[in-house]
Amino acid sequence: MIPSLKVRNKEESRFFLNRRQRKFITSILSAILLVTVVVVGVLLDEERIATNLITRNLAPSLDHPFGTDWLGRDMFARTIMGLSLSVGVGLIGAIGSTSIALILGMAAATMGKVADRLISWLIDLFLSVPHLVTLILIAFTFGGGFKGIVIGLMLTHWPSLARVIRAEVMQIRSAEYVQISRQMGKSKWWIAVHHILPHLTPQILIGFMLMFPHVILHESAVTFIGLGLSPHEPAIGIILSESMKYLSAGMWWLAFFPGLCLLLIVQAFDRIGENFRLLMDPTKSND
Amino acid sequence: MTKKIFRLIVIAVFTCSIILAGCSTSKSSQNNDNNEVSPKDELVLAFGSEPETGFDPATGWGRYGSPLFQSTLLKRDDKLNIVNDLATSYEVNDDGKVWTVKLRDDVKFSDAEPLTAEDVKFTFDTAANNGSIVDLNGLEKVEAVDSTTVKFTLKEARSTFVNNLVATGIVPKHAYGENYAENPVGSGPFQLVQWDKGQQIIVKENPEYYGKKPYFKKVTFVFLNEDSAFAAAQAGTVDLAYIPAAFSKQNVTGMKLEAVKTVDNRGIVFPYVKSGNFTEDGLPIGNDVTADSAIRHAINIAMDRKALIEGILEGYGSPAYTSVDGLPWWNPDTVIEDADADGARKLLEEAGWKDTDGDGILEKDNIKAEFTLYYVADDAIRQSLAISVADMMKPLGIHIKVESGSWDIIGQKMYSEAVLMGWGSHDPHEMYNIYGGANAGVDYYNTGFYKNDTVDGYFKQALQAKSEAEANEFWQKAQWDGTTGLSAKGDAPWAWLVNIDHLYLMKEDLDIGEQRIHVHGHGWPATDNIVDWKWSK
Repeated sequence: MIPSLKVRNKEESRFFLNRRQRKFITSILSAILLVTVVVVGVLLDEERIATNLITRNLAPSLDHPFGTDWLGRDMFARTIMGLSLSVGVGLIGAIGSTSIALILGMAAATMGKVADRLISWLIDLFLSVPHLVTLILIAFTFGGGFKGIVIGLMLTHWPSLARVIRAEVMQIRSAEYVQISRQMGKSKWWIAVHHILPHLTPQILIGFMLMFPHVILHESAVTFIGLGLSPHEPAIGIILSESMKYLSAGMWWLAFFPGLCLLLIVQAFDRIGENFRLLMDPTKSND
Repeated sequence: MTKKIFRLIVIAVFTCSIILAGCSTSKSSQNNDNNEVSPKDELVLAFGSEPETGFDPATGWGRYGSPLFQSTLLKRDDKLNIVNDLATSYEVNDDGKVWTVKLRDDVKFSDAEPLTAEDVKFTFDTAANNGSIVDLNGLEKVEAVDSTTVKFTLKEARSTFVNNLVATGIVPKHAYGENYAENPVGSGPFQLVQWDKGQQIIVKENPEYYGKKPYFKKVTFVFLNEDSAFAAAQAGTVDLAYIPAAFSKQNVTGMKLEAVKTVDNRGIVFPYVKSGNFTEDGLPIGNDVTADSAIRHAINIAMDRKALIEGILEGYGSPAYTSVDGLPWWNPDTVIEDADADGARKLLEEAGWKDTDGDGILEKDNIKAEFTLYYVADDAIRQSLAISVADMMKPLGIHIKVESGSWDIIGQKMYSEAVLMGWGSHDPHEMYNIYGGANAGVDYYNTGFYKNDTVDGYFKQALQAKSEAEANEFWQKAQWDGTTGLSAKGDAPWAWLVNIDHLYLMKEDLDIGEQRIHVHGHGWPATDNIVDWKWSK
C-alpha cells in the first residue's frame, strides 16, 4: 500500500501542479479554444465557402484539411463558421434561458404562495415534455429560421435552473441574517439585491456554463432535421444532415470532421462548467 | 380492485400489440422474399413521388407519365407526334371552336362495361367542375352526339386543347364516385390491385385492354427516397430505381444506368416590372434591380451553364435556354453564347451600372445591384444551383442573396424577388401560362409580371392555329422573331439554367424502349411507354 501511494505522489509532483491548478489550466485552454473558434469563424471571409465546381468532393488534404463538399466548398471553413454560429446561437439561448430561470426562480421564492405554485407548475410542465419536442413546437410557431430557433432555445432550457434557483432563494430567505435585515426595516428589493443575488452568482454562472453544451446540441439537432436555418447556411446541424446523403458515396469526411468538432466544442464547454463548479464550490475545491 | 383490472387491460393491450406487430413484420419480409425471386413477367420500380391525391384523372392524375389505369382519347408516340388512342379520328371546324372526336366502339372498362361518348362527356364535365390543376377554362361544353361521337365546344379557338385530349384519362360514369381516386376503374393497360399509402402500389394487367398488351403482367411501384431507392437497387430488390446525379458515379453490378433527356428545366424567374404595385392580397410586385434588362441579360450571358451541368448534375443535363428546349415548338435560335463574363460586364457598364463605392457591388442611381433568390428548401439540386449561380454572379458585381423557404413562403415573395423554379411539359400551353401577359400573378404562372404585346400577339395566333404545325411556328416566333421575344435574346424575363436528365438505374437486361423527352418530375414520365417495356433476352 505504501509504495503504491508513493508512486502516485511522485507522478503528481512531476507536474508541480495540484488538481486545482490543473483544473484551472484545462479551463483556460478550453476557453481559449472556444474563443479562437468564435473569432476565426467571425473573421473568416464568405469567400472561403464560395462554391468551386472544379474542386468538388475532395478528400482531406493540406489545402483542404477537412476536404470539400459536393459544391467544392472548403469544409474546414464551413465547419468553423458553423461552430461559430452554433456558439453564437448557444450564447444567446443560454443567456436568455438563464435570465428567465433567474427571474422565475426569484419570483417563485419571494412573491408568495400563488406565484410559487404557478411557477412550480410551469416548471413541471416544461420538464414533463422532452426539450426537443417543445423546442420544435416553439421554433415552428415562430416560423422557424434564426429567430425561431433562438426563441425556442431560450424558452425551453430554463426549468431545471429555475428550480435550483428557487430552492436556493428559499434557503437564503430563511437565513438568520436575512430575517434580521428584514426586521431592521430593509425593503424587499434591498434584500434581494444585497443578500440574495450575490449568493446566487455561482449557481447562475455554473448553470449558465452547463446549459451551453445542451443548447448547442439542441440547436444542431433542430437544424439537422431541417427546421432551423436555410439549408445553405453553414450551421453544424445542416452540415451533418447534408453529409448523411453522401455517406453511401464514401465521403466520410463530410460527417467525420464536423461531428468531431462539435463533440470537441461541447466537451470544452462541459469541462469549463464542471471545473468552474469544482473551483467555486467551497466543499469541493480542495479535493 | 379497479387498479388491478386496469393493469390487466394494459398488459393485455401490450401483448396484443406486440403479437400484431410481429405479424405485420413477418408479412412484409415475406413480400421482400417474393420480390427477390420475381418471375419474369413481374417488375418492381422504385419511384420517389407518390401520387398522394390518388388516381383520378379529373383531379390531375396522369398528367405526367402514363395514367396506367385509364386511357386517353389521343396520345403522343415516341416521337411526340399525336396519334389516336380511344379516338379513331378528330376534326376541328373552321373557326377552331368545335372539336369533334370519333371513338372506337370496342372499348371496355376493366369491369367489362363498354366505354361510350357519355363517359367522355362525364369525364370532361367532372374535370372542368373540379377546378383542379386540370386547366379546362377554355371549354364551354361537351356533348355526346351519339355513342361514338363527342363534340367539344370551346369559348375561343385554342390549338392547345388537343393536349387536354392527350392528357385526360377517361373515367367510367357508372363507376365514378367519391372513392374513385383510390379504386380507379378505367380502360387503360393496367388495373390497380392494391395501394399501401406511403409505401407502394401494385398493378396488374387489364384483360379488357384493347391496345397492345403489356409484357409485364404485374408491376409494383415502391415509393422510396433517393437513398433508399439507391440502396434497394444495390441490393437488387428493385428492377428499376430513379436516382439523383450524385449517385451516378457508383457502379452497381448487374445494373445499368440510363439517362433520359428532359425538359425538366430549372431557371430563375425575375420580377420584370419596377416595384411599387401590390397584388390584391397586398403582396408586393416588382423589383427595381431585376426590372433593369441589363441585369437580366448580363446574368443570362455570364451564366456558365456547362459548369453547372458538370459540377452539379455530374454531366447529366443539358443547358436550358427556354422552357421548351428540344420540343417541336422550340425555336433553336434562342440558344445564346454564355459563360461570357466580359460581355456581361460591358453590357452592365453601358447600362450605367458602376461600382462607385468600391464594395464589389455595382450601383446605378443609388440602387445596389442586389436581389434575393429564393429556392425551395428541400430540393438539394435547386439549393446547389442557387448557391452556384450566386457565386458565379459575384465577380460581375451583382450580389444575389440566396434564401430558402417553403412554397408558402415563396408564394409571398415570388412577385417581388427572383425565384428558382422548374417547369417542363409536353403541352405548349405551358409556355403561354408562364409568359403570357394575361397570366401575370396567376398561381405560380408568370410570377414576374412579364408582358410583351408582340409575344402575346404570337400566343394568340398560336392558340388560334388550325394545326399543330401552324401553331408551332407562332410558338417559335414568340420565343424569338428576330427582333423581340420571350427568350434570353429578347426580353429575358427568365434566366434558364439547365434541363436535368432523369437517371434510372435498371437491371441490365431490362429494355424500357425509346424514351421520349421527359417532362417535369422524376419517375412517372418514364411510364409513358410502359406497355413497350420488356426483358431484352
